[in-house]
Amino acid sequence: MIITDGAQPRLARGCRFGADDTLLVPEGVLRLKGTGAEILKRCDGTRTLGEIVGEMREQFVGMVESDVEEFLRKLNERGVVEW
Amino acid sequence: MTDKPLALIAELTHRCPLRCVYCSNPLELAGRKQELSTAEWVSIFEQAAAMGIMHAHFTGGEPLLRDDVVELVSAARKSGLYVNLITSGVGLSEGKLSKLVHAGLDHIQLSFQDFDEEAAAEISGVRVLAKKREAARLIRQTNLAFTVNLVVHRKNLDRLEELIAFAEGLGPQRIEIANVQYYGWAMENRSSLLPTREQVERSVEVLNRRKLAPHKNIAIDFVTPDYYGKYPKPCMGGWGRRLMLIDPAGRAMPCHAAAVIPNITFDNVRDKQLRWMWAESAAFQMFRGTEWMQEPCKTCPKQEHDFGGCRCQALLLAGDASAADPVCTLSNKRPLVDSVLQITNAVKESPPPHLPRTLPLIYRSNPS
Repeated sequence: MIITDGAQPRLARGCRFGADDTLLVPEGVLRLKGTGAEILKRCDGTRTLGEIVGEMREQFVGMVESDVEEFLRKLNERGVVEW
Repeated sequence: MTDKPLALIAELTHRCPLRCVYCSNPLELAGRKQELSTAEWVSIFEQAAAMGIMHAHFTGGEPLLRDDVVELVSAARKSGLYVNLITSGVGLSEGKLSKLVHAGLDHIQLSFQDFDEEAAAEISGVRVLAKKREAARLIRQTNLAFTVNLVVHRKNLDRLEELIAFAEGLGPQRIEIANVQYYGWAMENRSSLLPTREQVERSVEVLNRRKLAPHKNIAIDFVTPDYYGKYPKPCMGGWGRRLMLIDPAGRAMPCHAAAVIPNITFDNVRDKQLRWMWAESAAFQMFRGTEWMQEPCKTCPKQEHDFGGCRCQALLLAGDASAADPVCTLSNKRPLVDSVLQITNAVKESPPPHLPRTLPLIYRSNPS
């Protein structure tokens, strides 16, 4: 699914954070690596994609918009993130 | 030693308002008096979470028949587990559902036998379709993640397209279409439930078409009929490798059907810690890894992929729990499966005189 700058991504139903940067989903567990966990923590349904990208770029040198978009699109395909 | 298990399967009770002919529970069911207490289950959840287990799947029987089910969901969630409730929906009132949600339930899986009352009742032995529809309606009003489960077999596989449309209309995020697995009560009814090759091929076409269609944001998981496969499934993700099951009486088992294996002994949560049973108990060691394997598994390049398939199926079909799963085309016991398929596929066209077209179904009994 296409994600626009104004979209407000959030975790899908049945998905929540577990201990140690894990994401618990209906079929199992996703282990999140550094920036992935940081992106997902910002997917609260209120921040827009634009805002998330802005915050990520501020915190992580070299992060570009397409990295965030691609990460969210992949998780959307797996039914973990929606907007 | 092996990794920690990923999930705990908590069979809270064998009691059930349904009497499904495809039930995979053992023929010998535990009665209410044998069931674990609330405190015993709470301790299991704490031990499981401390071991690093992430998911708890509440099942049965019908887990809602436990008076303490809300308390158990709450305890499991407080221990840090992700809680999934697998239910028939019978007994799921609005009040009970609201309590379960507040207790921290993460996900609910609701089973349906059919969209037609008569067809559903033939399989489940009771008329409960209206109750199930009502349960689905109530679930949709909550924020719970919702999966609809439909078990398919010879009697309904021809209507797969309609079954999927029905399931979609119930409003879940996921649909699980599962072919019957032949253990327990299902094995007793295999000759009535095993689909024909033609049915299986058509069902695969239906699912492939569904994959190409706009997918309405509903995911479909399909559990294939393994008798028609070329290779076995990695049953339970490998014996003692991913899953730990606690039965209603507290026995720790690598899978729900494992009690059929001769000379197997199960330790009990009433005597031993989960961590010890996972790492050391005879039952979990029995077919763990690849040491126990015979040919063709012993030198098979796929041995770390399917782990020799299902041990219970090897026992039930080949009479030897350490043989390769006979559904594997590399197994010298595969002709046993082929002869079953031959009868199944012959019956439709011209049933031999000694084989009735339909055998009486054997309904699951209910423990007191």
